[in-house]
Amino acid sequence: MNEYESNALGYNRRDFLKGGSVATLMTMLGGVELFAQTNAALAGQTKAPTIKIKVAVIGLGAWGRELISNLSRMPQAEIPIDAEIAAICDTYPASLKRAGGTVPGAAQTPDYKTILDNKDIKAVFIATPTPNHKEVALAALKVGKHVYCEAPLAGSIEDAREIALAAKAAKHLAFQVGLQMRSDKQRLFLLPFIRTGQLGKMVLARAQWHKKTSWRAASPNPEREKALNWRLSKATSLGLVGEVGLHAIDQAGWYMNALPTAVTGFGSINLWKDDRDVPDTVQAVLEFPGDVRMIYDATLANSFDGEYEMLYGSDAAVMMRESKAWMFKEVDAPLQGWEVYAAKLKVFNDTGIALVAGASKAPPVDEKGQPILPDPMTTTPLFYALNNFLLNAAELTKAADDYKAAYGEDDVDGLMEALGKKRQDQARQRPAAGYLEGFHTAVTAVKGNEAVLTGKRIELKPEWYELK
Amino acid sequence: MKTRTVIAANIALLMLAAAALPAAGETSTYSARSGSKMRIEGTANILHPTWQIEGTIIGGKLEVGPGFPTEPGQAATPGKVEATANVFIPVRSLKSVESDGKPYSDRMDEVTYEHLKEAQFKQISYKLTELTLKEVPKSKDAPYVFDSTGDLTVAGTTKKISMPVNILPVADAQGKKLEITGNVTVKMTDFNVAIVDINLVVGHIKTGDDVKLIFKWVVGQRKAAAAAAK
Repeated sequence: MNEYESNALGYNRRDFLKGGSVATLMTMLGGVELFAQTNAALAGQTKAPTIKIKVAVIGLGAWGRELISNLSRMPQAEIPIDAEIAAICDTYPASLKRAGGTVPGAAQTPDYKTILDNKDIKAVFIATPTPNHKEVALAALKVGKHVYCEAPLAGSIEDAREIALAAKAAKHLAFQVGLQMRSDKQRLFLLPFIRTGQLGKMVLARAQWHKKTSWRAASPNPEREKALNWRLSKATSLGLVGEVGLHAIDQAGWYMNALPTAVTGFGSINLWKDDRDVPDTVQAVLEFPGDVRMIYDATLANSFDGEYEMLYGSDAAVMMRESKAWMFKEVDAPLQGWEVYAAKLKVFNDTGIALVAGASKAPPVDEKGQPILPDPMTTTPLFYALNNFLLNAAELTKAADDYKAAYGEDDVDGLMEALGKKRQDQARQRPAAGYLEGFHTAVTAVKGNEAVLTGKRIELKPEWYELK
Repeated sequence: MKTRTVIAANIALLMLAAAALPAAGETSTYSARSGSKMRIEGTANILHPTWQIEGTIIGGKLEVGPGFPTEPGQAATPGKVEATANVFIPVRSLKSVESDGKPYSDRMDEVTYEHLKEAQFKQISYKLTELTLKEVPKSKDAPYVFDSTGDLTVAGTTKKISMPVNILPVADAQGKKLEITGNVTVKMTDFNVAIVDINLVVGHIKTGDDVKLIFKWVVGQRKAAAAAAK
C-alpha cells in the first residue's frame, strides 16, 4: 500500500508537512486565500507553455549553473514559461564547456557583448563575480535587455547606485535583483501575518548560516585560482555578511518594513588559515528602528543547525527554514483558534505550530483523484524569483509591443510613461526585489562587511539609502 | 458694370472658400495617440454585481474628408460626413479592475482572454462605415455630436453597431488632435462570446449578457506630417 492510500482522503500527515502551504494558514486565520487556490486550480490544468522568451546566462559558476537548471524547469511553473537559453557566457572555457553540457542548444561565448548584440535575446541573467555586475548590467540595460542581476548588486555603494539609477530610468525593462526570498511564495504569505502584528511587539531578530566548507574551488592554475575564488579576497568580495548574509538581513528588514540604522561587526579567520583575507566566521548586529536588533551569524567552520532565520515578538516567535516556517507562541499570547488544528512540531521543550502545513484543506487532485503535491524543485525561492522575473519581463515586452503597434515607434516619451506606470503597478507585477530593494541591500552589505572587517559600529545614514 | 461687380464678388467668395477649405477630395489622416482609454462594464450575479475591464491601448487610423471639423469652434454643417476609421484593441492589453480602477485579478484576466478567444483572435476591431454630424457645439470646448455606424469584430464575429459619438478637436503643441468618446451596450452572445459561468474560491460567478463599452480614442496628426503641412 502506498502512503497516499493510507487514509480516506488519499493524503496523510507526512504529505501535509511535505507539501503544505501558508495559504492554508491564512485560510485557517479566517481569510480566504485566493491566490493559492487559483494556482492550485491552475496546476490541475496543465497548460502548454504560452509565453516564449529567449534568455542568456552570463557567469557560469555554481550559481550560474543553478540558474540554468531552474530556467530549464520553467515550463513546469504554474504559469508556464518557455525560457529558451539561447546563449551562455563565461570567460573561462572549462566553465563554459561544463555548463554547455546541460544546455546543448545554447550558443557558447566568452564575450558577453556577443549576447547583447543578439536582438532575439530579451533577458539576461548576470551571475558573474560581484565586481563585474556593473559593467554587464549597465551595458545590458543600455541595449534594452531585461536584467536579472545577482545580489549583492555591486561591491561598492557608488556602483550599486549607478546600476540602480540606470534600472530606474529604463522603465520599459524588468530589472530584478537576486534577493529571491522576496519572491518566495511561503515568505510572501508570511508577510501580512507578521506585518499585522501577529507576533506582538517585535523585539529581536536572528539568522544564521553555518557550513563546514572552505568556500574554495579547485583550479588548475594560480591565475584561475584567484579569479575562481574571488569570494576569498577582500578586494573582490563582501565576505559572508555581504555575499550571503544580505539575504537574511534584507528579509528581516522587509518583514519589519524598515531599513537598518546601524551595524556592528566582528570577523576572524578561525579555521581556514590559507591565503584568504576574508573572515570565515562573522557576527553582525544590525540595529533597526524601535530598539529592535538583529544578530547575524555565519561560519564556514561548523555546520551545526545549518541555516535559518528567526523573528521574535512579545507574543510569538517565527522560525523560517528553507521554505517552511513555524510559530512558537507564548503561553500568555492571545489564542486565535486555528492553532488548535494546526500541525505541531516538538522542538526541545517548545511546540512549533507549523505555518506551512495544510492541515484543514485537501490538496488539489488530478483527474484520477490523486493529490497534486507541490514539486520540491519548483517551489523554491529561486524558482519563484526566476518565474516572476520572466513573467514581468514578458508582460513589459508585450505591453511595449502593443503600445508601439498602436501609437508608433517614435512616441518614446509616451511609451516610457505608460510602461513606467505599469512597472510601478505593484499589484500587476509579480513580487520581486527590484532596483530599489537591490540598492538598499547593497548599501547594508557594503557597510556590514566594512563593520566586520574593522570590528566597528557604523551608523547607517539615511542619505546613503537615498537613490538619486 | 453691375454684372462685372457680381462676377468679381463671386470670384472673391470662391477664393475665400478655396482658402478656407482643403482642395476637394483631400482627406486628412489621424493616427492613434496615447491617452486613449477603453473600459468594459458588465454585470454578474449577486456575489459580484458589477465587473469592469480597462485598457489604455486603442490603435488605428481615422481618415476624414474636407469640411470635417478638426479645429475647435470650426463651422460645420449637420449631415453625413466623409470619414472612415479602422480601430483595434489588443485583447491582452485589457485587464480586470476594481470599480475604482485598481487591478482585480490575473485569474479573471485569463478567463477574459479565454472567452474572447485571445489565442486565435488577438484584437478587437472596429471599422467605421458611416458618420453623421448631428449637432454643432455652441462653445469651443464642447464636442461635435455624431451618429455612427460601423462593424465591430469581437472574438472573430462581426456585427454592425450604431452609437452616438462625441468628437472634440483639441489644440495641441504637437499638431491637431481629436478626442473621440462614446459608449455602446452590446450582448456578449451576439459575438458568440460565452457567458462566464465559473466556480472560483470566492464563489460561483455568472455574468450577465449585456456589456457596456465605453471609450475615449485619441487621434492626432503625426509630428512629421504636421511639420510637412506647415
